[in-house]
Amino acid sequence: MTDVATTAVTGSQPEIAPRQRRHNVALWLSLGWLVLVIASAVLAPWLGFIDDPHKPLSGPPEEGPSWSNWFGTDQLGRDMFARSVWGGRLSLSIAGPAVGIGIVVGGVLGVVAGYFGRWIDLGVSSVVNVALALPALVFALFIVTMLGQSYINVTIAVTILTIPAIARIARAQALRFAAREFVTVADMMGARWPRLLFREVMPNVVPALASIAFLAMGIVIIAEGSLSFIGVSVGSPSITWGNILSSGKGRLEDAPHIALITGGVMFVTLMALNFVGDEMLRRLDVREARI
Amino acid sequence: MLRFFGTRLAQLALVVLAVTLLFYWMLNLLPGNPCVAAFGGAATEEQIAECEQDRNLDEPVIVQWAKWGGDVLTGDFGKSYLTGRSFGEALNTALPRTLLLLAYSQVLALGAAIPLGLWTGYRQNTVIDKIASGGAFALLSVPVFVLGLVLILVFAVRLDWFDLSGYQPISEGLGAHFRVMFLPSITLAAGLLPVYLRLLRTDVIGTLQEDFVGTARAKGLPVRHVLIRHVLRPSSFTLLTIFGIQAAQAVNGAIVVEFLFDLDGVGSLLVSWVAAREFLLVQTLVALIAAVFVTVTTMVDLLYSVLDPRIRRK
Repeated sequence: MTDVATTAVTGSQPEIAPRQRRHNVALWLSLGWLVLVIASAVLAPWLGFIDDPHKPLSGPPEEGPSWSNWFGTDQLGRDMFARSVWGGRLSLSIAGPAVGIGIVVGGVLGVVAGYFGRWIDLGVSSVVNVALALPALVFALFIVTMLGQSYINVTIAVTILTIPAIARIARAQALRFAAREFVTVADMMGARWPRLLFREVMPNVVPALASIAFLAMGIVIIAEGSLSFIGVSVGSPSITWGNILSSGKGRLEDAPHIALITGGVMFVTLMALNFVGDEMLRRLDVREARI
Repeated sequence: MLRFFGTRLAQLALVVLAVTLLFYWMLNLLPGNPCVAAFGGAATEEQIAECEQDRNLDEPVIVQWAKWGGDVLTGDFGKSYLTGRSFGEALNTALPRTLLLLAYSQVLALGAAIPLGLWTGYRQNTVIDKIASGGAFALLSVPVFVLGLVLILVFAVRLDWFDLSGYQPISEGLGAHFRVMFLPSITLAAGLLPVYLRLLRTDVIGTLQEDFVGTARAKGLPVRHVLIRHVLRPSSFTLLTIFGIQAAQAVNGAIVVEFLFDLDGVGSLLVSWVAAREFLLVQTLVALIAAVFVTVTTMVDLLYSVLDPRIRRK
């Protein structure tokens, strides 16, 4: 989970115009791709050109990309384009709520710890530090095994993983803003702590959390992908990017397109998420998100 | 100094106890009798009774945990009730493989990141810097299993340079060993490299602004000497910290890589026990991994304070 923080290492050098333009183009491309992926995932059941992902023999088995099967077909002749879209649908429907809950819980924990300091900070920070030192996948594996391989349980497992990393960044942001003049002034004008916390400090932490959400989304997608790749995510017949890749693993010799295209879709999606997150952090000048 | 170490070690012991207790307690949340589950549902009364006796199931959780801890400390890690194979036996074969995989990948990642980081920090915005930064960014977006699959396809399936037939120990010859271990190590290293590289580059850019670097250059020392002796040295703290944090990340990767390359290491052990629903073994293994990790992070922290005395005074 440390990647949430480390992907944000960006120096802030004085910008020159051409570079800024290139960044803008890349930003719009990334956002465009994300809109495309999210829209197709959400609308998959209603879009006519997306086949039934479970229907066998949509085309000849293990055929490469063609006009009728854009991403080719798998061992049973199921349409790979439909499977990629439906795989994304499940991955995103796990990552979305996980990151949403992670941002709210982690954000509140971090801001409260950073703002109040003392024993609250000590308590939150030590739990966060221990949690960050544990291998996240082992922990997720354990939770899913204990609770069972269902959508809800996988979502719970990956949500728990996002909280400590987000809490740490929120805490650093809160520390930074709690020391600023406008907070001191509000304090001296007699504002009480709920106002200071929710009206003065919190609004300044939100932009950083919004950019972190993109990075966290990428990490949750990888975490869920790893779980389903090793066969410990939502059970079959559910389709996830991870289990498509896992089944493509044995077919690398004869039908490499199964793994390559799905892996490519995943890669571009993750790159877009990371780029948007990085760019937002850079433009908002958030330094504390780095290790 | 001694007092500082004492406090940290006491903290460490406390955290290890808390973490193992947490994992132990979580198993007890499972509905049903873990001993019935341990035999895969096909056990005789006596077998279940023996298992319950072993695990002290009639006692409160905290007592069970304490007795389990005592057993682990004396080297009795339990066994699989399904196969009769002991935990220690399984770990004995699996652990060296995982440790070697982790060591190779760290060496590869640091070996590439240190020269690249120094050079790209020194020569910012050159072609090499742009390629390295772009590459690092792309690598951060590739999941381990996607990269591994692509490497297998290119180097093992198409070019047939490497072996995928399972682990070969060093005693089988270095050639055979590395034909098996090279691709997994590269796959794992590729995930660690960009993190080291980006951090080191940022660090180097900062250090190069310092007066002592100017002085060293003004004395006429060669660039290579200044970069290695004067610039890299202060960054070693950053590298050490990130190394501790990345260790946990590396184990996440190792689980996937071992699965992908059929290495039968600790990660594969964990996955296969999970699949076989050997909860008692999973629990012991997870608790041990957690304990090792908390220890490693604390050790890195302590090492940090040995290297930089200013930290001890805080």
